[in-house]
Amino acid sequence: MTSAQGAFTEDFVEAAGVRIQLRRGGSGGPLLILHGELGVPGWLRAYELLARDFTIYVPSLPGFGQSARPDWIVSVRDLAAWVTWCVRDLKLSQPLPVIGTSMGGWIAAEIATMNAALFSKMVLVGAAGLQPEDGRVWDYFMHSNREAFAQAFCDPANAPEYARYYGKEWTAEDEAQAECNREMAARLLWKPYMRSHTLPALLRAIATPTLLVWGREDAIIPLNVCDRYVRAIPGATARVLDRCGHLPDMEQPDAFAEVVRDFLAP
Amino acid sequence: MVKDVYFFTEMGYTAYPQDEARRRGYNNLMFPNEHFSPERAQALYAMYFDELLYASESGFDGVMINEHHNNPLSMMPSVNVIGAALARTTRKGRIVFLGNVLPIHDNPLRVAEEVAMIDILSGGRVTCGFVRGLGQESLATNVNPIYNRERFDEAHDVIIKAWTTPGPFRWEGRHYEYRVVNPWMRPLQKPHPPIWIPGVVSPESVRWAAEHRYPYVALAPPLDTVDEIYDLYDEVAAASGYTPTSEQRGYAIRVCVADTDEQAYEEGRHFFWQLGTSFGIVPRHWMAPPGYMSRAATNSRRQQMRVGATNITPGGPINSYEEAHATYQIVTGSPDTLIKKLEHIIDVVDPAYMILWAREGLMSHEVAVHGIDLLTREVIPAIKAYRADREKGRRSLAVAR
Repeated sequence: MTSAQGAFTEDFVEAAGVRIQLRRGGSGGPLLILHGELGVPGWLRAYELLARDFTIYVPSLPGFGQSARPDWIVSVRDLAAWVTWCVRDLKLSQPLPVIGTSMGGWIAAEIATMNAALFSKMVLVGAAGLQPEDGRVWDYFMHSNREAFAQAFCDPANAPEYARYYGKEWTAEDEAQAECNREMAARLLWKPYMRSHTLPALLRAIATPTLLVWGREDAIIPLNVCDRYVRAIPGATARVLDRCGHLPDMEQPDAFAEVVRDFLAP
Repeated sequence: MVKDVYFFTEMGYTAYPQDEARRRGYNNLMFPNEHFSPERAQALYAMYFDELLYASESGFDGVMINEHHNNPLSMMPSVNVIGAALARTTRKGRIVFLGNVLPIHDNPLRVAEEVAMIDILSGGRVTCGFVRGLGQESLATNVNPIYNRERFDEAHDVIIKAWTTPGPFRWEGRHYEYRVVNPWMRPLQKPHPPIWIPGVVSPESVRWAAEHRYPYVALAPPLDTVDEIYDLYDEVAAASGYTPTSEQRGYAIRVCVADTDEQAYEEGRHFFWQLGTSFGIVPRHWMAPPGYMSRAATNSRRQQMRVGATNITPGGPINSYEEAHATYQIVTGSPDTLIKKLEHIIDVVDPAYMILWAREGLMSHEVAVHGIDLLTREVIPAIKAYRADREKGRRSLAVAR
């Protein structure tokens, strides 16, 4: 399949006991991308940029997108266990680098606390999982899907991927997909909301080289959570992107790809 | 035949500023409780209790009560507290709980204990409804709406087993777990108080009620959608090996009666006292938090009528007061007029149980009491004597559509 942003394939594969929707493209070593609680709407420009150096794997996580939802996955830790199994089933060479956005960042961090052998490097983008020291995580479940997408961008009016995926007229299928993703997010994140009581203690066990990427204007998870991650994970560093909200890969794809490429360079 | 007729009021907290709700675009869940005055509530409770007492003494077969949270719609955030008070202030008539909001409880045995207590306190007058709650209830109590139905089902099973199986026993379910189920307090009625299931939309609830042979009480829906409800009930009942009777059907309807049709029509406006609606207004995502509403419910005719509206109200589209007459979401009139309209509903539904939601909003106490008198003296005897003509009801529905 090709798009305006280049070649990728999108198909259904059986991985870790679940039939999932998998987008992949590019060449080079594998790079795993774990999307956030809003799901992943397509082959993003950021993926295309990174696909020059890596073979990108973007699974729709169980319960999101067109992927099936097994009843047993009810928490982020369940999902973390599923991801490690999925990497094995997809026969990706290990260790491999990973990018996790928001909830996906939390999943990657959970895995790294338990298994230092899976990821070579880890990029956590606007990662969920920790309680802010100041302010609150924006409450998706008190707002509509449309409000959530707008809130996730610093300047939706000038973000091409916002216009492309969210700012357009929604079809009934778009509505149903957003609601489906929202339901899976509620299953995983309702209470405690978007955070773990054990993660703060466990992050100190991480031995994986880690980069935090955060939008300076993130209005979903405040920037001070980035500081908490940097302090908790040994050796972690951070890159903060300007004019950028909760989804740096969608709002500042070029700057995002650049900081990620720098970090992942051998 | 209509067997029992009950009186209902939401017990609205009418003293909140409508202008402020209009400015915000919603009147519950997040509507600031600085607008609540305990002193005003005390006076309103006194008035409502007088009316409930009067209704139960003067010819109604009982009263219905319910539960809502964070909501000026209703001053009953605990149905069991209101029920307990009525158990000792009324002397006769059923007390119909519609009902306990099961999914919001982490300890459903507490519900089993409280309902058993009230059943004993009232001398066995409890009819026990179980509900899932409005979507806002999931948010107000922060119980994951994804599991609303699973928790409803399991809490129901725990409660019924606690009432019918000698304890102690263990319970290990998905949402509830007990080392010891052995509540000392057990209900007076055997095997337990009658269970009713009220509802507004979900076909799953209709199906579940039919499978359990519980009466399903339609809460003031547009009349031309009730065949969707009761046809499904009949279908599931047939598959379960029984034929439902009117005893499986309850119906709640807003009624406003006065000496003349004109007076009743004017007084009936009080039912739409919240921003021009009966239940108030909230954003759609509060009423339908994630997972609360199934795909089937979303696709039901009743729900489709609400699609497109950004802000919605339970029980149907946001009909104006004037439109609500056409859909039979409210019936008003002199006793004679009202009897004819109620007979039409009886033709369509043929319920054994009717709940007359007969006072609301800023209607004065005197008007409410006069309404109770007209209902008990003229209307209730007439509708109890009326024999439903369901064929005629069906034909009229077809014409209405």
